Amino acid sequence: MPLPPPPSPSPAPRTPGIAGGRLFASLPPPPPLRSRREVHVWYLLPDELNDASLLKMYTELLSPSERKTALSMNGEKLQKGAVLSRALVRTTLSRYTDCKVDPRSFEFKKNKFGKPEILWRSDDSRMERPLHFNISHTSSLIACGITMDTSIGIDVEDKKRKTTKNILSLARRYFTPSEIDYLAKIPDPDGQQKEFIKLWTLKEAYVKALGRGFSGAPFNKFSIILAANNRIQISVAPKVSNGSDSSCDCLSENWQFALAELNSSHCMAICIEDDSTSSDSENGRLPLGLKVWKTIPFVEDILVSGTEAVKLVS
Amino acid sequence: MAAPVSAVAAGSATVTYSPALRVQGMDAVSFRVSASFNFPRQRANFQSIRARRIPKRFQVSCSAKQETVDKVCEIVKNQLALPEDTTVIGETKFVDIGADSLDTVEIVMGLEEAFQISVDESSAQEIQTVEDAAALIDKLITEKDA
Repeated sequence: MPLPPPPSPSPAPRTPGIAGGRLFASLPPPPPLRSRREVHVWYLLPDELNDASLLKMYTELLSPSERKTALSMNGEKLQKGAVLSRALVRTTLSRYTDCKVDPRSFEFKKNKFGKPEILWRSDDSRMERPLHFNISHTSSLIACGITMDTSIGIDVEDKKRKTTKNILSLARRYFTPSEIDYLAKIPDPDGQQKEFIKLWTLKEAYVKALGRGFSGAPFNKFSIILAANNRIQISVAPKVSNGSDSSCDCLSENWQFALAELNSSHCMAICIEDDSTSSDSENGRLPLGLKVWKTIPFVEDILVSGTEAVKLVS
Repeated sequence: MAAPVSAVAAGSATVTYSPALRVQGMDAVSFRVSASFNFPRQRANFQSIRARRIPKRFQVSCSAKQETVDKVCEIVKNQLALPEDTTVIGETKFVDIGADSLDTVEIVMGLEEAFQISVDESSAQEIQTVEDAAALIDKLITEKDA
């Protein structure tokens, strides 16, 4: 496969070295995102990544400020996690530009609520429809979701994660009445914990997709409904028209969800904007096209969607 | 201890600064400078101040009580099950000790229970350090007792 030429010089001085394209030479490019309904997820397991030279290579992809942030984390494990998160984002995005944009060249900005976005330079006209991404990490798994032209939120959680607070107390403090009822009806603590984690990750994914921060979409202002047929729906509390609650003005319901058990160890929730027209019936709505890879950037990719490693709940 | 503040800015700049938050065990006093800038092209020439945009609420801030800071550290350490020798002090940022969103809501709940206060989402979102949390708690307690 012919290698793309090295990218044009990027603004900050970079470590001289191999261009992004050559780093990925041994790996096939990912399939393109064909529609706004497709979500590609790339995840890595930090505990499997201990090769010092590989970690050094990842660290060199980061911007100076990202490196500084990573090193200010308390302890080696957290520092490694921070480096891997940024490296995963940069390498994955690079591959979706066909390696035309070097992983080191990406620049990021935060929207006014703090959600990270890609800062595209005006000369990146090759990217006709911009990439969107979102990351989520736990100490044992870091995931990066990519879409084309549509906002995405992703949240992963250790499926066995135990809360220090009692689940119903947490629900009463943060969730909606319908969600509290749903959890309260579950008789066994393990089942309850499992459903709590599902609701939590789905709600997080929605808030992250919306990009307005936790206070921009308070958890107790929208309900996630897990229906019997595995459909996931969102219901927004009707706006009280006394004008006091302007922060909830734009909570919308046109979002689509996917929920899966990942790697037999984690619960993953994804939320993207739903662009179905109003004429689409409930049954006619196209499912979210999800593809998942387990990856070690530059080293290997394993397509895991369709295997035991990705069990779709809905 | 006052540090001279000199700002030579192109265009208009209003600079206000809040009294220092003294951090236990550190001699340095850091000034928080809240500024709105209007630079055409040149960069302002600041001498030894770090300009940082801080939430409006903290522009006139008092030191958080040390006992509040200590209590917050204790709650945080318990929630995150940090090893005993981990340093958690006023300046510690929650993100730097690996608190994720679920940890954060549990910590907020723990603080509400311990201090008998109620923290709204927008205030919670502003908290970055242990000191921020302690200052908010002290403020809420003062308001509650007023």
